[in-house]
Order: sequence, then structure tokens, then C-alpha cells
Amino acid sequence: MLAIERLQRTILRQSCDRPPVIPQIFAHAAKVAGKSMDDYLASAATAAECQLAAWRHYGLDAIFAVLDLTIEAESLGGTVIRHPGIYPAISDPPFTPDRDFTRLAPPDPATAGRMPAVVEMVARMRAGVGDAAAVIGLVQGPMTGAVQFVGMQRALFLAIDEPDRFVHLLDYATEVARSFGSAQLAAGADIVLVFDPAASPEIVPAGLFRELVGPRVAHLAASFKQAGAKANWLHIAGQTAAILPLYSSFGFDIGNVDYCVDLDTVLETLGEDSLCLDGNIKPLSFVTDSADSIRQTADALLARFDGRGGFILSSGCEIPPEAEEANVAALVTAAQDWKKGRR
Amino acid sequence: MVDVMDRAFDDLVASLIEGEREHCLALVGELIAKGRQPAEIVTDGIEVAMGALDRKCTAEQFNLLEIMLAGRAVMAVIHRLFPGDADLPNPRATVIAAVLEGDIHDIGKSILKILLTGAHIKVIDCGKDTSVAAVVKAAAESGAVAVCLSGLISSVIPLVRQVKPALGAAGLSHVKVLAGGAALKQCTADTLAVDFVGQTAFDAVHYVGALLDGVYAGH
Repeated sequence: MLAIERLQRTILRQSCDRPPVIPQIFAHAAKVAGKSMDDYLASAATAAECQLAAWRHYGLDAIFAVLDLTIEAESLGGTVIRHPGIYPAISDPPFTPDRDFTRLAPPDPATAGRMPAVVEMVARMRAGVGDAAAVIGLVQGPMTGAVQFVGMQRALFLAIDEPDRFVHLLDYATEVARSFGSAQLAAGADIVLVFDPAASPEIVPAGLFRELVGPRVAHLAASFKQAGAKANWLHIAGQTAAILPLYSSFGFDIGNVDYCVDLDTVLETLGEDSLCLDGNIKPLSFVTDSADSIRQTADALLARFDGRGGFILSSGCEIPPEAEEANVAALVTAAQDWKKGRR
Repeated sequence: MVDVMDRAFDDLVASLIEGEREHCLALVGELIAKGRQPAEIVTDGIEVAMGALDRKCTAEQFNLLEIMLAGRAVMAVIHRLFPGDADLPNPRATVIAAVLEGDIHDIGKSILKILLTGAHIKVIDCGKDTSVAAVVKAAAESGAVAVCLSGLISSVIPLVRQVKPALGAAGLSHVKVLAGGAALKQCTADTLAVDFVGQTAFDAVHYVGALLDGVYAGH
């Protein structure tokens, strides 16, 4: 069974040969390929080569066309600080909150900053895997975009002090994501993951997510489906049990569950909701724990969802770049060994 | 008169929790005009509000936006009461807060700083992307009782492990080391070689409070 078919059948709760296994591997792929993170970040060709090496090495159902998480903000003129061996981070956001966001056009993914590198990475990975694995792109969701574009504190205070301006900022971040995600889909991505950790109930009240972020991620989901996405995936970190039941209504097929979320609560809250879940092994355990421990946790997760289905075995968030390869391999093997024919 | 004053403090506490900065400043102005001392406003207003916020966040859910709004209101009141100096007078103790080299995400540290200040503890902010040596130097110079390290990314873990030995080498083995933040809170205290790992900023405030109350005196 092809990986994308396995993924789509899992989303639809149809039987398939085994559960999909999609650990969120970004720069960990460099370690697998024997490259440094700096090499990975410097070149779309190298990053794609690393992702393909990780796919071959582990036998993954999907790989991620992700360099780092500063692409959008940097393409808009934000300052990015770089340390050797560490992901870059935004030191100065591109805008101040008083900017008129209604007058800004989104950056052109063909020319702006490192956006073309990400699009190239998608294309190279698509060519490399053919239809044997899913290629997943990534955009910053509306809330995370807003936070990155003006800074965390200023974005949150703007939401309270000047709600109209905040809505304009959210709309702009949504348009940046739509434009960038559409380019990734056109280059061959199967799915564009909407990465919105700043929309977590640990950051903003669930009501703000429901009323302000929700309609905008729904717009992204509809746009991506129209642009050919085979599924929609929303990733929000932290304690998301209160908002997970909203994901389906916003057009998302897959939602991540972080390690800190109680699965009993999630399953009870979701009820008959068809949302496919991915998760939820603690990311750092791929660095600190043993392969046996990862295997036991993975087996327990697979058993937990055996009756419900709609589950992708994964980490709750990104696998740390320095993760032990044996630990990631143990996760993948758990899914590959799982009883066949289950949903 | 007492009832009226009690209600004024109740209003201040409620407004601080809600993060209504301008209303808080107006209420503080009224309290001062009625002869209340800054120290009273800190004790019966700010500290009560921070305690209530702590209980609210524990019972419901830790929510950064609400805490930041409350924190902004608290800091505005402190600046109003003690112009030109963000520190409260006669703090219970001094604590170092830092984000180590390679990590420039400092929102968690900022929140911790506000909560500790609200708990009447002086915070020396060593900033972000900071060296272990700078943290040790600040601890030595300030007589800090604890060092609080916030880390969003796992690459800082090896540096976190260096802090306790570095403090020991500087003759500061009595200084407690606390860790928190998205990456560090996934670890145990043993794996980080620290004294305590907090899941939220409030956990760190509780630990420092207990430390000052003597709960960890034998450690």
C-alpha cells in the first residue's frame, strides 16, 4: 500500500495494512545523512537530500519540506540570528504593531527570502520519493505568524488593546500562509501542515482561538484543499484538549496531540468526531530514552487507538535534531510490526 | 471607612487579575490620596492578586495572555508606587533569571520575572543568549538564593547541566538552580543536574517561596 493511500485511508477510518508512522523530522534528517545542521539550513538541495536519506533510512510514510520556522518572518524583512548548529530564531520582527496591515501584500514565494528554497525543497523531495511517501510542507499559522511578525508580547497586547488592528494582522498572516502554502502545493507537496503553536490554549484563551484564529485556519484549509492538498493538518502545541473538537469543523483532517495532553480526555472530548490524531510521544525522549522504552510507548499508543483508528504514530512535536537514530527507528518499527488489517 | 477601603483593595485585586492597567492606576491613585502607603498596596493588592492569579491558573489553565495582561498591570502599579525603580523595596530575596546561549526566546523568563516581582522577590535579569559564566557572576555579585533558567530549545540542555557545577566551583553551591520552559520542562531535575524543574512559571515561584520559608533548608 502506498504511503499516501495509507494516510488517506487512516483519515477516513478505512482498514489498511498498518498505521502510518510520521515522526516530525526536520533537521534531524541532517544527522541521518551525516551532514551538519548548518549544511541542512544552507541549501535546499542538501536539505532535500537529507530528508530523502531519512525516508530511506527509517522507512517513513511522509517527509517534511521544512528548513526552519523563520522563513516567513525573514522573507518580510525580520532579522534572524544564527548560531552554529542551532536553528535560527527571529531577533527582530519585521513590523511594528502600528503598521497598516490592510495595505501589505504577502511576499512572493518565488522571490522572497528563503521561500524559493523551501519551494525548491518540496520539488526535489517530490521527485525523490515519487508516490512512495507523502511530502508535507509547512506554513506558520495565523496566530504564530502574527506573533512572529510583530513579536510575541506586542501581538498579544495588540489583541486586547487594539482588536481591530490585531484582526488585520491575523488576516495578513493568513494571507502570507495561504500564498506560501499554495506555492508548496504547486511544487508537489501532498499536504501543507499549518503550524500554529501560538494558538495554543496555553498562550491564548480557547475563545480567542475559536472566534479569531479558527475562521482563518478554516480559510487556509479550504484554500489548500482547492489547491490540491490531499488532506489538511493542524499542529498546535501544548494542552489542546479544549480546542481539538473544533479542528474538524474548521476543515482539518489531522490534528497533533502533544505529549502533555491526556489521551483519555481527548478521546472523551472528541467523542464521535472523525479527526485523525497524530502523536504523542515526548520529543525529548527520542534524545534521552532507550529504543526499548520508545518501542513500549509506541506499542501502547497503537493498542490504545486500535479500536478507534484515525491515528498516526508520531512524536507530539518535532523530533529534536540530536535525537538518537535507534529511538526513531524503534518508533517506525513499532508501526511496521503492528497487526495488519486494523483501522 | 474600613469597608470602603476593603472594597477599594478588592477592586484593585480584581482589576489586576483582569489586567485592566489604566483602571488599576486610577485605583492606586485613589488609595494613595486616601493615605494608604505603597507597602500596603503591595501587600494587600499586588501580592493578593498574584496569589489569586496563581490559584486561577492552576485550577483552570495556564494562559500566557491573561498572565501577561495581569503582569503588565502589576508592573505599571509598581512603577507608579516606586517611580524610577522597578524593584520593590525590601525584597524577600534575590533571584537570577536567564536564557542560556543559543536560545533567544525569553517570553517565559519575562513572565517569571513578573511573577517573582509580584511575590516580592528581586530579579536580576541576565537576559537571553547568556553565558553560564555571566549567570554565575551575577549570582555571586547579587547574593542570589536561586538561578532560574528558561529554555525553549533542547540545544541549551548541555549548558544547563554546566550551571550547578559552575556555581559550585565559584563557592556558590548553596544557590539553587531551577529550570523551566518548553524544552527543559520535558526533563527531570537529575538529567539537567538542577534542583528543580517547573512545569509553569508559578512552580518556580512556589519553589522559591518554599525555599525562603525554609522548606528546602536541608538540601
